[in-house]
Amino acid sequence: MIRATTLRSGALLRLLRTPPSSFRCIATSGSSAPRWRPSSALDEWVDRPIRPMSLRQLFFFGRTLTENRLISSANFVRNELPTRIAHRLREMQKLPYAVVTNPHLSYVYELYYKSFESFRKIPVVKTIEENDSLCKVIGANLKEHLTVIPRLVMGVLECQDLMPADDMDAFVNGMLRARISRRVIAQQHLALTDTYNSPGHSPYPSSENDFVGEVLLRCNAEEIIRGCGKFAQQVCREATPGVAVPEINVRGHLEATFPYVLSHLEYIVGELLRNSVQAVMDRYKTSVQPPPPIEVLVCESPQHVVIRISDQGGGISRELLPYVWSFSKGPRSQERLASLGQVPSLAATMQEIQTMPAPGKSRDSSLSSLSTRDPKLRLGMGLPMSKVYAEYWAGGLELHSLEGYGVDAFLQISKLGNQNEQLTLRASIDAV
Amino acid sequence: MSLCLRRYARPQHQLRGFHTSTHNRNLDAIVPNASRQWSYMPSSATISEDEIRRLAALPRRPLTLADLVRHGRPPLSEEALLSSANFTLSLLPARLAHRIQRLRNLPFIVVANPNISKIYNNYLHSLSILEPFYQKRITTLEEEEKFTEVMADLVQTHTNTIPILAQGFLECRKYVNVAEVTKFLDQHLRARIGTRLIAEQHLALHMASTPEARQHDPDPYNIGVIDTSLQPAKIVKSCEAFVGDICEFKYGVRPRINLNGTVDATFAHVPVHLEYILTELIKNAFRATIESGNEAHSIEVTIATAPDVPNSKLDALKKISVTDESVHDYSQEGLADYCTSYEGIESPINAAAPSITIRIRDRGGGIPPEILPNIWSYSFTTYDMEHAVNGNAMDDGLNAITNGGNPSSIAGLGYGLPLGRAYAEYFGGSIAVQSMYGWGTDVYLSLQGIGKTV
Repeated sequence: MIRATTLRSGALLRLLRTPPSSFRCIATSGSSAPRWRPSSALDEWVDRPIRPMSLRQLFFFGRTLTENRLISSANFVRNELPTRIAHRLREMQKLPYAVVTNPHLSYVYELYYKSFESFRKIPVVKTIEENDSLCKVIGANLKEHLTVIPRLVMGVLECQDLMPADDMDAFVNGMLRARISRRVIAQQHLALTDTYNSPGHSPYPSSENDFVGEVLLRCNAEEIIRGCGKFAQQVCREATPGVAVPEINVRGHLEATFPYVLSHLEYIVGELLRNSVQAVMDRYKTSVQPPPPIEVLVCESPQHVVIRISDQGGGISRELLPYVWSFSKGPRSQERLASLGQVPSLAATMQEIQTMPAPGKSRDSSLSSLSTRDPKLRLGMGLPMSKVYAEYWAGGLELHSLEGYGVDAFLQISKLGNQNEQLTLRASIDAV
Repeated sequence: MSLCLRRYARPQHQLRGFHTSTHNRNLDAIVPNASRQWSYMPSSATISEDEIRRLAALPRRPLTLADLVRHGRPPLSEEALLSSANFTLSLLPARLAHRIQRLRNLPFIVVANPNISKIYNNYLHSLSILEPFYQKRITTLEEEEKFTEVMADLVQTHTNTIPILAQGFLECRKYVNVAEVTKFLDQHLRARIGTRLIAEQHLALHMASTPEARQHDPDPYNIGVIDTSLQPAKIVKSCEAFVGDICEFKYGVRPRINLNGTVDATFAHVPVHLEYILTELIKNAFRATIESGNEAHSIEVTIATAPDVPNSKLDALKKISVTDESVHDYSQEGLADYCTSYEGIESPINAAAPSITIRIRDRGGGIPPEILPNIWSYSFTTYDMEHAVNGNAMDDGLNAITNGGNPSSIAGLGYGLPLGRAYAEYFGGSIAVQSMYGWGTDVYLSLQGIGKTV
């Protein structure tokens, strides 16, 4: 009798080992549920408040880099990272059981917990050598977490029937913002350490240093747009040879500069331009006329820089328009899920798919490899991701579609860099 | 049932009015029947309180474009004409009564203002003159003729509601809560759009079906107030000329419009609405362009049409033709959704995305960030009063356009954008404004054609 049961459950388990894209996590196999852990350690860190920071703080801090400052920065990182991860873990723990036991989401959960455990145990940093070990731990964590984004989005797509879509979007937005914040803090500290350790470094502020850590003090809108534009054109040209590639015209206040984390900006502008180029190429591929150019406008005002990208790619159809900012809903979710499954793990195979170096001096490899992916891989997350990044530093991203004609995208950037990072949506409390 | 008891039998939302009180109950105990005479202002209205209350409690439903064409293309047969008259009668009284109730819910000091009370009395008057008609169905052409005259009177009476209301609220600004009045105005003006449409449609259908009208060839494109082959580009050009004339006369410069996109696109919509909206938007663009000294840069207007909106007029006609099979009674449809809410949703929910999008792009310098949050409000605050009183030539000239040179005009009070949006949203469209301060403004007007709702 017992043997028969075992045989049947064995067969059941084999049946359950279906490919991830068609796996509905209600029929859970025990192996994907995250481990249970006592929550006392987590509780302690969840109770600590997060200290939001601004771009200005980031670069002012790094401008005069002394040993003391570096050690301070190390301890800030040592405290902030586990605090922020703890808040995310608690948010995940409050999701429905069926959702967290999804293989992709539980993978993310486990990864986070591992990070949390490793960071919280680091003792106070007092010397440069201790800082160096901290940096090793940070570096290892950054690398390990490269796969989080595709796994998160895949998990969310698979679970879209298990939670209201708005709650799901809010969850993903929160996760992504928190992730950006942790990576910014971490990478900034790594870059500062590099700068400090580099030969010929002096602690006095130098105006030739355009970068303070990850922050580029003077991002020139025109330069970045042209660079990302060329890159997008190249990627699309190689993907569909023989089809005419539209020109990208840039005009307006071309001298506008502002401080920003360069890799973020390149990602957002790259995504928007790539969308436009692809749309125009799709629409005009059978036409004898040359495709109409993409018009980019840079507008500078005392407090903002606005970049408007206008294309004539036919606009967004009305079936898709309501879902354009969502990670979880939409008529295309099955295709997106399949495409996401094809995104390489980002660490190992980046060299393979990267046909050319990403523009700029970006350090965030997860973003740059997403930017260099094959344009046929429609992941469907470029827009919501870009919006998260844009709003992270108190900016914004808006889209207006003229169905049948084209799309206008408006990227708004706060010029002063003195706004705190937006860790929550619309000033709602990041309640624990 | 005494008045006080009836008052409590009313739906809860009506008890939230400003002047609810319980004193009448006590009064009735002391002096029987004393509370039956509400001390309303004297008016020529003969309509009774009970009747208003009964009508206001009737379920209301939003108007769709399909409602307006369900009786067929003019000239209408006698049967269709009577059907149109009765249909109108089935909708109007409830709407008017509801407006009266809402007006009564405003603070006493507001309704006592001469301008507001004038509007209030207009509504009472209109309901009174309709009463003899809606008590029974219209069955003869003579009755229909008389009814149509009454309708014409109604439309005429209410033509200047907006400037008069605006003036009234301006005068009362010290006594009102901004948020509540904005909400009132928004609901009132949106309801007004529908009420006027119903009335004007019947009028237009009637005029197109008179014996004199029948002598001419039937108009292939117009169904009452609806033009089934409305070409937005034509309206843009006429607004450009109109607004441009005024600018040239007043300021000596004339901004130009560069029209591109699907210029020959057509769809079915109400021309006067589109004209109003486009006039407002083009006026804003011209004004900004002139004020920033950029009249050398033309304003770019792009017309986009979604793929399944027919570009040919024939297709548009085919889509909306009403046959015996397609006519049906919409009066009960969707009632549950709309008639029980306190907000009294007065326009149809936007179920489908728009069919025509018009983008107006100017180089007028954009909207300053401190003004941007207020562009959709019905301005009647002290700031705007000063602005209006000390209005400069620019404002006077450009505002004279939309007020038809009316001396009691609301110069500089900026009702244009919120009202334009109310018109656009009435049939499921929208207006979005994107300002780039330091460069210019992009305005996106999207409108839904008629094909989707039939």
